[in-house]
Amino acid sequence: CEKEFLDRPPEDAYSLDEFYSSEAQVNASTNILYNAPWFQFANTPMWAIGELSSGNARTWDDNSADFMKFTVTNRKNHLANGWSSLWSVVAQANAVINFLPDRVDASVSQPVIDNAIGEAKFMRAMAYFYLVRIWGPVPIIENNLDYVYNPQINTNPVDDIYTFMENDLMFAIDNCYSKNRGSNYSDNGHISSGSAKALLAKIYLYQRDYSQARAYAEEVINSGEFKLFGLEVPGSYNDLFDTKNNNNEESIAAIQWSNTGEYGQGNPLQAMFAFTTALTGTGDGWGAVSPSIDLTQSYEDGDLRRYGTIMEEGNEYPNLNGGYVVPENPGTQGTNVAIKKYVVGKPEYNGGGSSQNAANNTYLLRYADLLLIHAEAIMAGAESTTDGAALASVNKVRERAGLEPLEVLTKEQLLHERRVELAFEGEYFYDLGRLDRSEAIAIISAQERGTYSNDDPPVIYSENFTPSADDFTFAYPPVEVQKNPLLEADPVPYNFN
Amino acid sequence: QKVVTGKVSDVSGLPLLGVNVIEKNTTNGTTTDFDGNFEIRTGNDAVIVFSFVGFITKEVSVKGLKTLNIQLEENTENLDEIVLIGYGTQSRQDVNGSVSSIDAKEIEDIPQVSIDQLMQGRAAGVTITQNSGQPGSSVSVKIRGVTSITGSNEPLYVIDGVPVSGDANNTSTSGRSPVGSGGQQDTGVSPLAALNPNDIASVDILKDASATAIYGSRGANGVVIITTKKGRKGEGKLSYNSYLAIQEPTELIKMMDLPTYARLQNLFSDLTGTEPRIEFANIELLGSGTNWQKEIFDRAIMQNHQLSFSGGKENVDYFISGGYLDQEGTVIGSGFDRISLRTNVNAQVKDWVKVGISLTGSRTKDDVTINGNRDGVVSLGLLQTPDVAVYNPDGSFAGPIDDDGLGSLNPVALALSIKNKLTRNKLLGNVFVEFDLAEGLSYRTEFGGDFNFNKNHRFTPTYAWGRYVNEQNVLNIREENSVFWIIKNFINYHKNFNNKHDLTLLLGHEAQESTWEGTIATARGFLTNDIQTLNLGDAEFAANDAYKGSQALQSFFARVLYSFDNKYGITASFRADGSSKFDPLGDNQWGYFPSVSASWKVSNEDFMSNFNALQDIRLKVGYGETGNQNIPNYRYGATLTTFNTGLGTGFGLSNIANPDLKWESAIQTNIGLEFGAFKNKLQTTIELYEKTSKDFLYQLPLPDYLVGVDPYNGGVGAPFVNLGEMRNRGADLTLSYNTGVNDFSWNSTLTLSHYKNEVIDLPSGLVITGETNLNGNSPIAPTITNVGQPIGMYYGYKVIGIFNDANTITDQPVQFGTAFSAEDGDTWLGDIQYADVNGDGVVNANDKTIIGNPHPDFTYGFSNSFKYKSFDLSLFLQGSYGNDVMNLTWLNTSSLNARYRNQTQESADYWTPENTDTDIPRPVAGDTFNNEISSRVVEDGSYLRIQNLTFGYSLPSSLMDKLNINNIKVYGSVQNLYTFTNYRGYDPEIGSFNQDALLMGIDNGRYPTPRTFTFGLNVDL
Repeated sequence: CEKEFLDRPPEDAYSLDEFYSSEAQVNASTNILYNAPWFQFANTPMWAIGELSSGNARTWDDNSADFMKFTVTNRKNHLANGWSSLWSVVAQANAVINFLPDRVDASVSQPVIDNAIGEAKFMRAMAYFYLVRIWGPVPIIENNLDYVYNPQINTNPVDDIYTFMENDLMFAIDNCYSKNRGSNYSDNGHISSGSAKALLAKIYLYQRDYSQARAYAEEVINSGEFKLFGLEVPGSYNDLFDTKNNNNEESIAAIQWSNTGEYGQGNPLQAMFAFTTALTGTGDGWGAVSPSIDLTQSYEDGDLRRYGTIMEEGNEYPNLNGGYVVPENPGTQGTNVAIKKYVVGKPEYNGGGSSQNAANNTYLLRYADLLLIHAEAIMAGAESTTDGAALASVNKVRERAGLEPLEVLTKEQLLHERRVELAFEGEYFYDLGRLDRSEAIAIISAQERGTYSNDDPPVIYSENFTPSADDFTFAYPPVEVQKNPLLEADPVPYNFN
Repeated sequence: QKVVTGKVSDVSGLPLLGVNVIEKNTTNGTTTDFDGNFEIRTGNDAVIVFSFVGFITKEVSVKGLKTLNIQLEENTENLDEIVLIGYGTQSRQDVNGSVSSIDAKEIEDIPQVSIDQLMQGRAAGVTITQNSGQPGSSVSVKIRGVTSITGSNEPLYVIDGVPVSGDANNTSTSGRSPVGSGGQQDTGVSPLAALNPNDIASVDILKDASATAIYGSRGANGVVIITTKKGRKGEGKLSYNSYLAIQEPTELIKMMDLPTYARLQNLFSDLTGTEPRIEFANIELLGSGTNWQKEIFDRAIMQNHQLSFSGGKENVDYFISGGYLDQEGTVIGSGFDRISLRTNVNAQVKDWVKVGISLTGSRTKDDVTINGNRDGVVSLGLLQTPDVAVYNPDGSFAGPIDDDGLGSLNPVALALSIKNKLTRNKLLGNVFVEFDLAEGLSYRTEFGGDFNFNKNHRFTPTYAWGRYVNEQNVLNIREENSVFWIIKNFINYHKNFNNKHDLTLLLGHEAQESTWEGTIATARGFLTNDIQTLNLGDAEFAANDAYKGSQALQSFFARVLYSFDNKYGITASFRADGSSKFDPLGDNQWGYFPSVSASWKVSNEDFMSNFNALQDIRLKVGYGETGNQNIPNYRYGATLTTFNTGLGTGFGLSNIANPDLKWESAIQTNIGLEFGAFKNKLQTTIELYEKTSKDFLYQLPLPDYLVGVDPYNGGVGAPFVNLGEMRNRGADLTLSYNTGVNDFSWNSTLTLSHYKNEVIDLPSGLVITGETNLNGNSPIAPTITNVGQPIGMYYGYKVIGIFNDANTITDQPVQFGTAFSAEDGDTWLGDIQYADVNGDGVVNANDKTIIGNPHPDFTYGFSNSFKYKSFDLSLFLQGSYGNDVMNLTWLNTSSLNARYRNQTQESADYWTPENTDTDIPRPVAGDTFNNEISSRVVEDGSYLRIQNLTFGYSLPSSLMDKLNINNIKVYGSVQNLYTFTNYRGYDPEIGSFNQDALLMGIDNGRYPTPRTFTFGLNVDL
């Protein structure tokens, strides 16, 4: 009696030790990796770095404008939020990787277990991919328990982190289910072996290991698992970002937001991107950033992606809140345009959501990106190519955008395609970061990051900002350095055993 | 000889039964009857002595009078004063541990809502700060310094035998805090707010471990034993107490008016390359604009009524009271009200059996302010800009219209539109039966319960305040109930041998359990804002959450009290506690808590019989061990948190397990000296103590790369561990002086408390920081805790001054790796120059150092009461000396780095090439190192406050007798009359943010304490 009186196991939660007792539970164990831990990263750092620093967007918000002006200090809350958010993904992935095998019930079959661990390794690699691109060297953590009582650890070199991601993705390729993305979108949510191949191709590309990148990209393309939405399946570039097309055939990996409106479990992007509360209906819609003049001007004539990315006066969006016509001078940041991508409208048109919590997915990787990776891998660092396979991939992407096929693919053209295809998906700054520094600095310092005047016709108040070579990665949050001064020390090679 | 008749009553006019009425130096005497009347035959010049237990003896000469109506005053310095020591009582003279007591008389007529606030400054060794001026909010009570690193440092309250945790967050005893945070405010509500202070008879504060060890695992932070009023034998008494109070905000911070603000905005337009706002083109045409502080603070009314009935006959006594309190907050939209009922009945059923019950039922309602950070009403009252109007011409709320998305919500609209109501229903009671088994041997069983039913109703309406439009209204309902019960069984044995040896034995067992359960439901999309029930929301967007849990504690305890010849006393106790907080499969569930103490009444020694300079000299010494197990449930194991994901329910690891968790323990020694002087008019108590606590139950402050964000956002909670060691050494001094001549009496008490906190041991490689957010979302770590220093020291950069000389600036140490140039993001003239503390030639994170100490050198209270005939006057001062305060409210409002944000008037003296003689740096748009946590934001937090001034008048008894009324008293008082301080913020009494010992004295948008004018009336029939 006494023993029982003092034994109080949790009454409102599963205990870790008893959780993995059925296939259903093991399958559900990875859901978390697609959701809440990503929230703070998606909320601001994703676009503050990916769009403001890259020159795709501009803002007057003195808090975010530092990213545009390359005056970011380590105290920036956006950085701290991104840092802790991405490490949450790592921690939750590690929990599955380390705890599941020891605790899983014998009745659960090995492929089910291996698939879950493969998904976790994929997401761990995805989080590290962002970490290494934003901060450079960071600690490799395979099991958080190893450092709980000894938290002051060194960072590991960037190359080791890439090796670590490759290992994770190899495991995911071997152990995750193979899929063929069909029209039943609800089956497509979890990543597959093919998703891991696609991410691995991108990671090899970042390392300039072009042959491997090409090989994996081609495996993905040849598998037919993914299709270009609006080209190989009905739809359009604009519809790609609608809530109803979550997990369409083009989606390789995406954050799977909930529609319940619980804070931190829905998509926060619309709250930031929509230029008016009238679009969202939920009190948010802050127009924190607007497309820059530079981005808007960079579109080729007739590029359909412009309509799906940028709201301009007079644009009609029939699916947005049952029909929306963009008024005069949208946007809040002096560029007379506003962001369209990821702006999905009011909860009643999107199956739920609430303030800062829409139900539309956020892409982490999609097939169009892979096609461009494929083309770039084939170029293998050359200034241009006429390789048929490379052109085929790029032209597929261009065809959906309503553009003429290219006959020669230049490096500049490829960078441009990546920029407009993936604008406001948080990619362009990393693409610039892959260039030689002087080249990237030249591109950025020539970008028009200014505003239009109120005159008719408007004139440009020009603003240009020149980054220095070390502005392409960011400082560790100071509270973290305070807890672990070793973060500032030189990276130490990782012991892979 | 003649007959003298008369009546003896107490000060309030209540007749006293059984008073000895004796002619001086004779054996001639009588006693008063039931109505206090007496009749005695004496000579004409006789002196009659009136004496009664518990009252000051009075001598009156007859001088030809035939009737004598005598009032006897209660003897507050009664040597036989009874003190509660836990599971029993003891005469104050025999208590070997350190116990401070507060009598109800000291705290009557003071318009405070709850007892914890009233204890402030009244007892040495007890440091009390109000965490917020929000009605009903929590108070930080620290008995003898900070004992624990995290967890709660609040004492255990024992209300009529029922233990109630002082932890406002309640995570260890009721799962979650009763107020929904909504990511906004974190000001806990006081767990004692349900208790009506007017019902309290006495408060005994057990301070040292030899006193608290009998409470074992719950005694480490001290124990406050609260006893409510009982009926007295004699005629029934009906009392009505009432007061009406007006509270007003004390001091507003001077913020920029519209022209000053406009000038700053124009400067920012230059800095950010934006077009200056047209409306600010002609500054001289601008009026002063909206003063937002005046809009959000307002005078507020408080009223209190209490009706009580008490009395006792032969074998029964009773006390019944009902009270009503209604307090508006000085921040608009906030408030608190309470209805409370109390019944105390005791009865001697047979010679050998006694029963009693004490029961309180209460309902409190809090209108909780949206407060606590950048988005709170108080903060927005500072930051909202003077060019925005409160209301539109049509009477609806206004808001910024064109603010580039950078403005803020209208705080008045926020305060008045967003409803956050907390209703708490509480039933707290205790029943006992005591059997006399044999002479000196009794058996007592008690059952106590604390039943709570709380409901939090939070509604955000649809609104359109300027450009801020919300079309989706949200209702959030939290319903929570918790049940606590305790069963105690104990045997008491008392025997006195030969009038020399006095022995009391106690042996007991108790079991206690808390269970709690809560449901949180959210509905959205109501068609109107009028009716706010869940069923009217759009079913498609409904969401729910729930929690549930329990904890249990089982204990055995024993105590011996022994005294010899009224000279030497020894107390020894032992308690064993088993707690459900620790792994049932391990060996750490049980903790053992011994104590021993002794005292020596020096004055009772024969050799002291000729020493008269000092009286009642007593020395005492004590040692004891106590524990702490105040952590959330099941931290020895790991659980999973559920999330809604697009793939279905997700399960995230919520914490890292630590099966080795065990008790946190504290060892305390105490030495005390008590004596009286000037015929006991001056009484002195000096106590010295050392308290060492170790194995803190502490959630490891791991870097985010190991745990990520908070568990409810998808991160993994760091494990709770046992670590470290900390020592508090301190001294408590109480001086009290009582004198009186004829109709005049004077009583003063000075309490002084000093402690010195030092962290003795921490695991290497672990940096313990206190973390909070600046401007709502920028994480900062303003404190650090190092071995060899006190806990929670302020940590940041030292400021040298402002860069003012273009010729020498480039010779200075480079700051944070930025170049010296006028470019954006670089360091230039007008920026703050920080000290290169480590002398390595550059200023960076390695130059952070200790920049302030939140611990006071001492805190003090000085209470004075004077009485002349029917008038009484009391003056109570309290304060703190030598502590620093970190003024983040000032930093937030003087950051000079963003547009559309008002700033302090003081910061308008910012550096410009023309204005170089200033300590305010230049405005910089965006991130600037000028706003680092630095010595700039640390201020002296010393203060002396005239906490209370009360003037009272009791109507003359001659008049009262005619009206057949015992007493009528009227009084007026001022609470928080004036504060002497150099602190720039609202109020230097900051408290701890969420009672967190690592965030002491950090002012971050705190709700200021108001000044209160009270008029009161007490009537006794």
